Amino acid sequence: MLSILIMIPFFCALCAFLPLTKQFRYKLFFVVSLIHATIVLLFWQHLPSPEFNGFLELDQLGLIVLSIISVLYLFVSVFMAGYFEHEQRSNRTVTACLLALLSTMTLASASRHMGLSWVAVETSTLFSAPLISFHRNQESLEATWKYLLICSVGIALALMGTFFLAIAAHDVHTLLLPTLLNNASSLSVNWLKLSVIFLLVGYGCKMGLAPTHSWKPEAYGQATGMVAVLMAGAVTQCSFLALMRVGQICSKTGLTDFYSSILILTGLLSLGVAAIFILSERNIKRAFAYSSIEHMGLLVLGLGLGGVGVFGAVFHMINNALAKVIMFLTAGSIAQKYGSSRVDEVRGVIHVYPVTGMFLIVALLAGTGMFPFATFHSELMILNAAVISKHYILCVFAVVCLGLMFIGMARIILDVVFGQPTQPVLAKKENFFMNFPIGIAALLLIGLGLWVPTFLEKVIRHAALLTGF
Amino acid sequence: MTTWIDASCIFIVFLSLGILATYRIVGIIKIFAAQSFVLGLVLIFLHAHNLSTRDIVISLGTMGLKGVLVPYILFWAIRHVSMRSEIKPVIGFGTSIVSGALLIAGAFWISLSLKLPGKPVSDLILPCSLATVLLGFMIMVTRTRAVTQVLGYLIMENGIFLFALSLFDVMPAMIELGILLDIFVAVFIMAIIVNNINEEFEQAPASVSRSKMGETF
Amino acid sequence: MIMILSILCHWLIVLLLAPFFIGVIAKVKAFFSGKVGPSVFQPFFDLIKLFNKGAVYSKTTTWIFRAAPMVLLASVLILSLEIPLGVFKAPVQFSGDIFFLAYLLALARFFMIAAALDTGFSMEGMGASREAFFSCLSELALFMNFITLALLAHSLSLSHMIGADIPMSWSHVGPALLLIVASFFIVLLTENYRIPIDDPDTHLELTMIHEVMVLDHSGVDLAYVSYASAIKFLIFSGILVPIIIPFRTGDLVMDMLIFLGGMLGLAVCVGIVESSMARLRLNRVRNFLLIAFALAFFGFIVTMWRG
Repeated sequence: MLSILIMIPFFCALCAFLPLTKQFRYKLFFVVSLIHATIVLLFWQHLPSPEFNGFLELDQLGLIVLSIISVLYLFVSVFMAGYFEHEQRSNRTVTACLLALLSTMTLASASRHMGLSWVAVETSTLFSAPLISFHRNQESLEATWKYLLICSVGIALALMGTFFLAIAAHDVHTLLLPTLLNNASSLSVNWLKLSVIFLLVGYGCKMGLAPTHSWKPEAYGQATGMVAVLMAGAVTQCSFLALMRVGQICSKTGLTDFYSSILILTGLLSLGVAAIFILSERNIKRAFAYSSIEHMGLLVLGLGLGGVGVFGAVFHMINNALAKVIMFLTAGSIAQKYGSSRVDEVRGVIHVYPVTGMFLIVALLAGTGMFPFATFHSELMILNAAVISKHYILCVFAVVCLGLMFIGMARIILDVVFGQPTQPVLAKKENFFMNFPIGIAALLLIGLGLWVPTFLEKVIRHAALLTGF
Repeated sequence: MTTWIDASCIFIVFLSLGILATYRIVGIIKIFAAQSFVLGLVLIFLHAHNLSTRDIVISLGTMGLKGVLVPYILFWAIRHVSMRSEIKPVIGFGTSIVSGALLIAGAFWISLSLKLPGKPVSDLILPCSLATVLLGFMIMVTRTRAVTQVLGYLIMENGIFLFALSLFDVMPAMIELGILLDIFVAVFIMAIIVNNINEEFEQAPASVSRSKMGETF
Repeated sequence: MIMILSILCHWLIVLLLAPFFIGVIAKVKAFFSGKVGPSVFQPFFDLIKLFNKGAVYSKTTTWIFRAAPMVLLASVLILSLEIPLGVFKAPVQFSGDIFFLAYLLALARFFMIAAALDTGFSMEGMGASREAFFSCLSELALFMNFITLALLAHSLSLSHMIGADIPMSWSHVGPALLLIVASFFIVLLTENYRIPIDDPDTHLELTMIHEVMVLDHSGVDLAYVSYASAIKFLIFSGILVPIIIPFRTGDLVMDMLIFLGGMLGLAVCVGIVESSMARLRLNRVRNFLLIAFALAFFGFIVTMWRG
């Protein structure tokens, strides 16, 4: 079943390269997303059996990531219907790359072999690169270049880390996760430490964690809204999944303290960097990119703190993805309407497009973790974990950063929504297909904030226990 | 065979050092191709006593992809543009050679504290691969041309591959081929982007300000 | 008495062999450019001709200008005593003689540079500045190589460093020795003003390094300088050849023949390099020499690693 799930999008990606009409490609994309979502829904009934000698196997962690990917694709496929109504450009590359990306991300979430995971993450980098350069102007090409180069270096470091892991597991002679976990005592600790550092830097680079975050504002700023959603909500989660797998190995070999200390450090650094840089930002999309860095920092922080923090982190993965749908899809629809996403050129949105303007406010609240939205709960859990583990200073620092993030975001968003209206460049009406997925995502996020279904809570709890932190 | 492996490892680092002193991009691509060939040879030397089909396939794959195809793509990428030599590297050539020598020393120093499990065929593989990774990284950071940066990345990748050869039995062949293929695709996409960047910069009229051109969406 | 005899013998061999190898290089270069070329003994005839001429001195020069060629020849002759020539052991050897070698080279160079400045001719001054800069860099590589060899031989005497232990080192630290050979070859080309560093046959003052410094020397003085250059080449190849040859037969005649063959081969190699490469642009010579240093350093690291 898993291999079918990986192959379907891949073959459809190849099909999308054929000379087809725009409409047909769009339908293909929608149908594939729908099939993918249906199959993933079936997985919630009972997990699929392992395939290829256990190389592919879905556990609760993988299931959550896979579901996030699937849901995001559903949202994006609806949004795309509206988006390409106004877009002259051919959607050949976009559709093909998006489908190929879906295939590789499915592989990444279902892979149980550390080497195979690496291949999947690397391939997802490659397929997301052409998506960023969609507009083909200087800046988007520069952004793509920066993204490719920085992520390639990160990925190369992750490969190095994978090799170090292979050396650490020399006695086991495999990189299959279950075998590694069962024979954790025979791993060489020194090599494992080195491997953990390299893997964290490598996958962290792909995730956009602090010292190597510089590609993120560029790439998200240039990518179309849909692509930014998938990158911020799905591609980064695949890397985070890999980091959690590393955490699984660490917890079995007694390296929990070592790993969590560097995780906490990276998380705090990301929070700090995002909070400082967002204050001088004048572009909605770039501001949202900094918010993404912040959320990645929170995820890593939660994993590092352990206990309820891990539960919070896993829950936050879902909330972050939904919040990113609201944020980047709204930003994307504004960018298409105004031909820009700079604060100087986009003002007073609410007077011209009331629904979009309202969504921007929702995006602000959801992105910064305000009450009715589920991001509030998951962030609270992570902060709670900091208090439980007596990291009071850390907790204060994180709260200050979150506060700064709110100030930075609110400054831009409120300007954009309520400012003196500028002339909308392309006076188009609100588009139902573009607003519908945003509205659904907002409702879902509020719903999760008020009540987490028992089955979901069970899976999250199970997934959090898997990491062993 | 150990002598040959030693000599190849040294030669790989030597070629990376040579790139530090090379001005012309064509020369750098040629040196990279030579390095990839030596890399393929190392694999054969390592398994000379019982050569399996898998060794030969991966060795030929390395030579074919990195030694022939990738250089060919890069030649294609620089053919149309006047991108013949490196301009204004971040640090000068002389400085970069000296710091390259220091990086090699660093790589050996790090390797002192890393002990490979089992009995490695040659004790030079680990330090030499680390040195190549570091040198590739330095080329990538200090050079300003996009193609040279790609080449730096590829040299880094060569270093990692050299390292991977020493733990050949752990990784399944499929994964290794996947890695090779990934690198190939990466270079392909990078080459296309390099090409696009050049086209874009050639077309852009001087009057159009950069901030206006980008960020439309 | 035996000491004096052996020194005289050594000098005789050096004086007879040195111009011959210069002739070999010229012959190889002529062959590659499709000419017959002068006989390999041509340098001897040139020297004899120069020795029979008188010298002309410019009025602006002082005693330094006259002393320089003599100091140069004297120092390379003393240096040559430290170099074992095949089975002929070096008459002078003591611990630390590599420093003696380096400083004698520096002394000769100092006098040549001073003489070049003494003429007051701007071109010679330019050559002197280049000479000082490049030799400074090549000395770096030279010393790095000497350090590595000293580490291998556990001795600071040149005769030991390039002596009987080298074959053993080849089997142990072969890769390091390869690097040393490559680096030392570049040093040899630099110290002897050969392509790709400098073109001994060029007639354009702007690009010359060594030749431009001796433009004002004539007659006997020029003979001294040319002879010194030839001996210098012999000294450097006399150090390099024993390092390259990875075995010793133990048979005196055989060893001597192999040594001479090696010297001849090296001269041919230099000739081939000269005919197949172009001179480097002056600002790239520095990088070339730094590469020599980096190679020597790399060799040193590998030796430490294996040691």
